Amino acid sequence: MVGNDHEAGAEVHPIELVLARLLRLGSLIAAALLTVGIALMTMGMTVLAPKLITAGLLVLLGTPVMRVVAASIIFTKERDWHFAFFSIVVLCAMAAGIYFGKGD
Amino acid sequence: MVITFILVFVLGIVAGVVGAMLGLGGGIIIVPALALGFGMPMRTAVAASTVCIIATSTGAAVAFLRDRLTNTRVAIWLEMGTATGALTGALLAGWVNQRLLFILFGVLLAYSAYNMFRTRKEEHKEEVTPDAISQRLRLRGSYYDKALGRRVDYQVSRTIPGLIIMYFSGAAAGLLGIGAGIFKVPAMDQVMGMPFKASSATSNFMIGVTAASGAVVYFARGDVKPLVAGPVVLGVLIGAILGARLMVHMKASKIRLFFMPILAYTAIEMIYKGVKWW
Repeated sequence: MVGNDHEAGAEVHPIELVLARLLRLGSLIAAALLTVGIALMTMGMTVLAPKLITAGLLVLLGTPVMRVVAASIIFTKERDWHFAFFSIVVLCAMAAGIYFGKGD
Repeated sequence: MVITFILVFVLGIVAGVVGAMLGLGGGIIIVPALALGFGMPMRTAVAASTVCIIATSTGAAVAFLRDRLTNTRVAIWLEMGTATGALTGALLAGWVNQRLLFILFGVLLAYSAYNMFRTRKEEHKEEVTPDAISQRLRLRGSYYDKALGRRVDYQVSRTIPGLIIMYFSGAAAGLLGIGAGIFKVPAMDQVMGMPFKASSATSNFMIGVTAASGAVVYFARGDVKPLVAGPVVLGVLIGAILGARLMVHMKASKIRLFFMPILAYTAIEMIYKGVKWW
């Protein structure tokens, strides 16, 4: 097992580790907020609970957006201009989608 | 109410496991279950399902990134297609004949189901020759397959056709309100020559971004009901983490066996919807 991990680790790109950390942080915060929110809901705290759950859902929603932002920063730092440009195209399309989507 | 919470939570776990293993969002399970099984309004079900797609993507991605199954470079390249496609889909919604779209996508899905059936026994594609773009952009990968007990090195080919298919799958996601993972996996696996596990993991990684643009709209409209979405999403998150761990240890040919009936079912349902509304 250790040998395999070592072998796989030989050419691990830092980007995978950074993104994995970011996504784990996002899902942990979201899961914690959701768990507390649902627990409070079952105890009958109907004012605070939906707010906590919504906060958890919003953290989850922000995670993929942050992931693309992080990728564009990493590619820029590595001077990988092709991929830095690709990430920015993705971000612009997402931003435009949000802008136009709200219209209807 | 507590019983409904628990049932919805369990539903989420199941959808998360299936979604993570197959590279889909799990919306195929969640939308009908919430709308038909729990009698919720369609908009509430679709809004909750969109957030669930993000949960599957985020939850599963951690394990897949660590195991090197996700190809982040391929993902960013293809996300250009899905993101601009989703934008087009959102702009065109209401203009395009939806029935025709349903039939078109149904036929496309049926064709990929057939392709997947034909290649069901293959664990990996034979030698794939990279094209000029994939060489220039270094679109290749390598991971240690825990089920096969060896390293798998692969090359990516047909980079431009892949990007074009992703554009249309993004447009489908925008128009039809689906995660479109069901188009993404065959596009990478069948067209671009990526190993099935890498395709599934990379699709999983990408659907979060596709769904996020849609989810913002549902949040803004107030369609995301915390009491419905909260328990399902928590279930999906846990299910996706479990599903991702399971998938790493399974053989691709076995996972394909799960994928085919879902492809076939979705194809039939889409064609049926298109014909019914004619």
